[in-house]
Amino acid sequence: MENTNPLASPFARKCLLFLAFFMIGALGAFAQVSTVKGKIADEQGQGIPGVNILVKATTTGTTTDADGNFSLNVANGNATLIISSIGYVSQEIALNGRSNLDVKLATDTKSLSEVVVVGYGTQKKETITGSVVSVKGDELVKSPAVNLANSLAGRLPGVSVVNRSGEPGADGATIRIRGANTLGNNSALIVIDGIPNRTGGLDRINPADIESISVLKDAAAAIYGSRAANGVILITTKRGKTGKPSLSYSFNQGFANPTVLPNTADAAQYTSMLNDLDIYGLPVAEWAAANQAYKTTGSYTRPNGITRKAPYSPQDISLYRDGSDPWGHPNTDWYDATLKKDSPQSRHNVQLTGGTEAVRYLASLGYQNQDGYYVNSATGYKQYDLRINLDATINKYVKVNLGMLGRQENRAYPTKSANTIFRMLQRGKPQEPAYWPDGRPGPDIENGENPVVITTDLSGYDKNVRNYVQTNGSIEIKIPGVDGLKFTGTGAIDNESINSKFWNIPWTLYQRGSGFEADGTTPKLVASVRGPAEPQLRLSNSNRLNVLLGGVFAYDKTFGSHTINLLAGTNRETISGENFNAFRRFFISPALDQLFAGGDLQKDNGGGAFNSARINYFGRVGYNYKEKYLAEFLWRYDGSDIFPKATRYGFFPGIMMGWVVSEEGFWKNNVPAVNFLKVRGSIGQLGNDQIDTYQYLSTYGFRSYIIGGNETKTLFEARIPNPNITWEVATNSNLGLEGQLFNGKVFFELDVFANRRTNILWFKNASVPESTGLSLPRQNIGEVKNKGWEFNIGYRNQIKDFKYNFSVNGGYAQNKIVFWDEAPGAPEWQRSTGKPINTYVTYKYDGVFKDQSEIDANKLDYSAIVKALRPGDMKYQDFNGDGKITPDDRVRLDNTNLPLFQGGVNLGASYKNFDLTVLFQGAAGAKQYISAGESGNIGNYLQEIADNRWTIDNPSSVHPRIANRSDQYFSGGNDYWLRSTDYIRLKNLELGYSVPSTIISKVGLSAFRLYFNGLNLATFTKMTSFDPEADNSLGRYYPQTKIINFGLTATF
Amino acid sequence: MKKLKLLALTFIAASVTFTSCNDDFVNTEPLSEISQSSVWSDAALADAFVTEIYAGFNVGGFEEQSLSSLTDETMFTHPGRGITTITEGRSNPEDIGWVSINLRWDRMYSRIRATNLALQNLANPQFPNTNNIVERLQGEAKFLRAYYYHQLARYYGGVPLIDRAYELGEADYLAPRNTWAETVNFIVKDLDEAATLLDGKNMASGRASKAAALALKSRILTYAASDLHDIPTAKGKSATISSATNPELIGYVSGSRTDRWEKAKAASKVVVDLNSGFLLNLSEPATYEQGTTNYMNLSLARNGGRTELLMARYFTNAKLENGGRIGLYNGPNGYNNWAGNTPIQLLVDDYEMMDGTKFDWNNPVHAADPYANRDPRFDASIMHEGTPWKVRSNANLPKDPASQIQTGRYEVVNASGQKVTHFGLDTRNSSIEDWNGSYTGYYIRKFTDPNPAIVDQNTWQEIPWPILRYTEAVFNYAEACIALGQDAEARTWLNKIRFRSGMPAITESGSALVNRFRNEKRVEMFYEEQRYHDARRWMIAPTTLGRKANGIQIVGTLKPSKSVSVYKYSKENYSYTYTPFEIDPGKENRSWDDKLYFLPISRAEQNRNDKLVQNPGYTK
Repeated sequence: MENTNPLASPFARKCLLFLAFFMIGALGAFAQVSTVKGKIADEQGQGIPGVNILVKATTTGTTTDADGNFSLNVANGNATLIISSIGYVSQEIALNGRSNLDVKLATDTKSLSEVVVVGYGTQKKETITGSVVSVKGDELVKSPAVNLANSLAGRLPGVSVVNRSGEPGADGATIRIRGANTLGNNSALIVIDGIPNRTGGLDRINPADIESISVLKDAAAAIYGSRAANGVILITTKRGKTGKPSLSYSFNQGFANPTVLPNTADAAQYTSMLNDLDIYGLPVAEWAAANQAYKTTGSYTRPNGITRKAPYSPQDISLYRDGSDPWGHPNTDWYDATLKKDSPQSRHNVQLTGGTEAVRYLASLGYQNQDGYYVNSATGYKQYDLRINLDATINKYVKVNLGMLGRQENRAYPTKSANTIFRMLQRGKPQEPAYWPDGRPGPDIENGENPVVITTDLSGYDKNVRNYVQTNGSIEIKIPGVDGLKFTGTGAIDNESINSKFWNIPWTLYQRGSGFEADGTTPKLVASVRGPAEPQLRLSNSNRLNVLLGGVFAYDKTFGSHTINLLAGTNRETISGENFNAFRRFFISPALDQLFAGGDLQKDNGGGAFNSARINYFGRVGYNYKEKYLAEFLWRYDGSDIFPKATRYGFFPGIMMGWVVSEEGFWKNNVPAVNFLKVRGSIGQLGNDQIDTYQYLSTYGFRSYIIGGNETKTLFEARIPNPNITWEVATNSNLGLEGQLFNGKVFFELDVFANRRTNILWFKNASVPESTGLSLPRQNIGEVKNKGWEFNIGYRNQIKDFKYNFSVNGGYAQNKIVFWDEAPGAPEWQRSTGKPINTYVTYKYDGVFKDQSEIDANKLDYSAIVKALRPGDMKYQDFNGDGKITPDDRVRLDNTNLPLFQGGVNLGASYKNFDLTVLFQGAAGAKQYISAGESGNIGNYLQEIADNRWTIDNPSSVHPRIANRSDQYFSGGNDYWLRSTDYIRLKNLELGYSVPSTIISKVGLSAFRLYFNGLNLATFTKMTSFDPEADNSLGRYYPQTKIINFGLTATF
Repeated sequence: MKKLKLLALTFIAASVTFTSCNDDFVNTEPLSEISQSSVWSDAALADAFVTEIYAGFNVGGFEEQSLSSLTDETMFTHPGRGITTITEGRSNPEDIGWVSINLRWDRMYSRIRATNLALQNLANPQFPNTNNIVERLQGEAKFLRAYYYHQLARYYGGVPLIDRAYELGEADYLAPRNTWAETVNFIVKDLDEAATLLDGKNMASGRASKAAALALKSRILTYAASDLHDIPTAKGKSATISSATNPELIGYVSGSRTDRWEKAKAASKVVVDLNSGFLLNLSEPATYEQGTTNYMNLSLARNGGRTELLMARYFTNAKLENGGRIGLYNGPNGYNNWAGNTPIQLLVDDYEMMDGTKFDWNNPVHAADPYANRDPRFDASIMHEGTPWKVRSNANLPKDPASQIQTGRYEVVNASGQKVTHFGLDTRNSSIEDWNGSYTGYYIRKFTDPNPAIVDQNTWQEIPWPILRYTEAVFNYAEACIALGQDAEARTWLNKIRFRSGMPAITESGSALVNRFRNEKRVEMFYEEQRYHDARRWMIAPTTLGRKANGIQIVGTLKPSKSVSVYKYSKENYSYTYTPFEIDPGKENRSWDDKLYFLPISRAEQNRNDKLVQNPGYTK
């Protein structure tokens, strides 16, 4: 029996207890107070304002005034003070009974002195010679995005992140490092805790588990060889810290809404547009009269005597407008009817860390639950994850690290995809009911698809469960007798299993029947069963196992002013997987959703398997002189089963140099304000092998065909083999400048890069005629150049209790196809060679023929694209000037649907116990088509099209006449429909309050923080109907999310 | 000691990883594919390879867009599929318009490569020739190569004849077009060899047989003998062809037409003599009902009708393919179908009256009741106002308990006793999925399984698509006979076809017979991908395909004192008016251009191969 008393639950009791302690704590008083006074100054004796002074192990503290003076009450005359300020080296000073304390703080020229993860190791930020950007896990947890990829935007200059969909479980982002560099796959290599290409990728990693993310953008990635050309993202998870056990719990409750939903026409407007369409089917000479007749009587008699009826009479339209007849003349906003406000999402996380010098542990348990936008949503995402990281120091020589991740990802969807659902929402006719006034669901839009029904579990479900078990372990052995030499052996096993179950059952909708119910006024409704003919079930399962073994020797030693770092290692990786699926139909009832209960007719099973392997050797030689002159050489000798034995192995070297100018005497003496300045440069060769497997083998694949009344297995030539196939070569060079001014208050980092990709794996199908019948393999033929720059400039300061920082970053990349076997023959202005990858070829919009007289005055010949021009048709530019509009007048533009520039503005501030973080993020240079593709008889129009359109009564020279299901020549393929997606958005904001430890320590808490944060809170763009990150011109996709979130973190 | 242990540990750990220096494990094999050498050393695998080549038929003519909508048979309802690019004469090498996957240049050549690969490997088979499987596979491969070349030939004219499998890295891939004569000869040679190789073989349904090879030969030789491919004749009829720079690519520039007709006749006679026709032995017309049944059995390939299929694309529900969805593609919107290809009035008017006379709108009896007393094939092929059809769905049934096709608008009396307009459920003003309604007022019935258990919107049917059927060879034979002045023989065979469907005999001769013949084929072989080619090779396209598409407006007015609340077709309650109208030019504005006699070679392919000469009337 369930106990309904709220206080009976252990949780409630704990809360009450907590509250009680809280009150007592607040009323408590201190004893034995003494005062300490003093001045904090810099090395020149100048007082420093805003220095933090904290009594160690307490929350008692103060800050210095404008002259650097302070006064502080301490409970214990033997306490230790921690004195810290940005730009200075912190100090801890024991009072030893003193009541007066003057301290000089040394300038901290190493205030950037963070350690950054690089390939197979870590480096101090100031000695890094490659182009590496990183972000701390602490920053990422400030974003309420469920998918980690969406938390990266705007934080890492040179990394562009475009979120194409917000669908729970499928809301990843397209991540590009320095834009696109190749014609094929441009995805970066993702390395998690040193293991490349782990199953599950980065999307679902619990942000609370992340210590840091580094991105290797240039030759620094060369140590990853034939997979590194598109850059490398290194993710490092948190590890245990020495100390007594610390348990923290965090809870987040968020509410998600679509960032943008398209506005569509209402019933009165839409039905009158359908009348217009009917008129446009007549000869132009009759338009005006028909328009007049439809608007007055609703009936038009043509000169030839045939009478046409307006599809919607004036009376109908006025009933749609006034809403007085909800049964017969509804006015439905399909988005409103189908989507709810504030879809909840929650996340719980418990983290335990601690340990001794010998054993340190971190255990992190996460749970999240995300609901879909739909009312009674069948869509949702749930995740459970557990990560355990153990580090043990066995003795002076041996250390062992173990890591384990278990994660279950539960995706649930209705049987119809988000594309189908949003297609039907977009099409949804406002003059048809989503629900009848009595609450029963209305008819479908098509295929039984009424969005209010197919978004729920009434049509069955589509469930997908993914389980991940990832383990990795390493043993580090310091070789006795050789100081600085160690060996690290690594093993990692990833297991992925995916189970999906698709249960598709018929559902019921209601249509208007004839006549009325017994009451004489309620119209009769007729139930109709829609969807599949009978219940059907599809199960599928796949398993995958990745195994990596590796060994690395490293030697790090400093001899006086000379430091050398040597590393050499090897990895062998194997991946194998298999899958099967089963299908049953003719279930006699939807009551039982198990395979055995399905009928035996037309049952279908299938399955397959794959395997792959690679082996490689890699190394690094680093040298620096007094951390002033830096040099690094890194390499990988890489073998992949993507390529045949003869071309399998490649050598990928990188060389990087740096000069810390600020370490030079002349600089220190002359430009003291610039206290750190480093110039660095790199060049390296990297590879890309991300193509279909077995392009070098002559093999035959399976299909089937009907012979003798049966489905019979057939074989087809899978490809013409290319025995010489090998990886793409990237030659990437980079020049960087980084520095700090005014003791670290101002910092900056600038990079310019030039990437050249050769041997690009592309098809020679532009020069090999189709009459050869060859289905061509990829060959190493293409060449692309990509150039750009990045910057990150910031300022941080502290005025008394008010600390703030501000930084701006951005990255620009523009590529150009140098060669990809484009056949001659296309006009110069349509050629893709010399232009960026994937650009648009389109007619140039040149206004609209407002009326017949403009058409009569037109001199251009449109006959190649339309037989006869009519008012409201679009004008095109005669680009080649031949007097005719032909496909040759289409022009290749410079834009694609990926932005050229992405950047972010980060603001941070804290005052006493409050802290605030703001991230604005923006992108520019992308264009996206919008389409009225399914508008007309078949579906509704976007409000912007309805409002702007050319009409007989209100002709426009700018916007065209509406079309029916894109049936006019101007309905697509011209740049009227191509819209700029430049945007700036408030990507992330967090406001937090840390409850003073004087209060919470009484209840055994060491920290307690409350916060509010949000994602995509505001967007500024000219793109009105869809989110600017969308890439679906028809709006057939699950929109991006705007999230507001409340959370707390309690640490015990 | 400890140091030693550590060194040992390091050594062990290092050797575990570094012994992987043996990289054999990197040589993975594909687990879902078979190597080329296995395929050609195993008869079953070689058989599977040859069988795959048939898949180039795709779903036959059961695609969503039909070739018939490029002709005066039907029009296509949905925009944006490139149909009007062709029917309005706007095709050009950069934007050809809709080209079926069944005839696309790249697809055909890819299948031709497979036949070449098979023939090369079967020349020296590495497996035992049990039951003469080698000859069987060679015969099938030759038939298929001929079939795919014939597809290219009849759409493009002479094409590059490739009879070997190219390798990667060859110095020169550029092949010029062969002449029309060479192309036809190549096809005929392959078919003759296929017929020999397949002689006496019992072939499973769906595979090529000797009969199929002979029927295809009959077709290609009939085409070869036609006006369009006789350059002197074609030049006389078309300025465009007259101006062709290389007419030998599209027709015969010399030689005797009579010889060509004789060859066509002989080839067709061989097929006719196979005697596998369905009910072509009647000596007088079947009754109206029997004629309707016969024609439906024929088109649905059941109750004996299947014997007509010399080559067909079959479907089974074990593999749900789009070829089983023709009822959805073409069926009425009032049944939640898509009404893609809908018959136009010009076709409807060409169905004769039951007595063999022409239908005439100027005849007041015909105009008042245009669907009465027509050729039985009309009702068997076309749905129109009042046609009883499958039971409508639960939701739609209350609107039409009689389940008849509704293509007009009608007066009905509403609850308050007022006369209001009811738009037919199968029109573009329907309350059911109006955007899919027919523009013409007709729907195709032929080839849709009438079994009411097959609910077309979500159930697949298993009607095969006829690729080569006996009746076509009979038409070819008759056509050759007429061309050679043997009218009586032609009439005999045409009348066999007519009797089967309940139509009286033809008695005409000379050019009158030519016209009857052409109309007979148009009606009998509606929707079988004949009209597109026939109108071209007879060079009647300008006056047939070039006509504006049209449809019917039907208005039902309640007769005095009648009151109907739920509409049902009834001559008792309603007076109907039938008014043909031309399709709105904004929807489809048909016009013919002589360049359309042949498809253009795409600009991309010309760019790849500058040896290709473009077809007449198209700029490069």
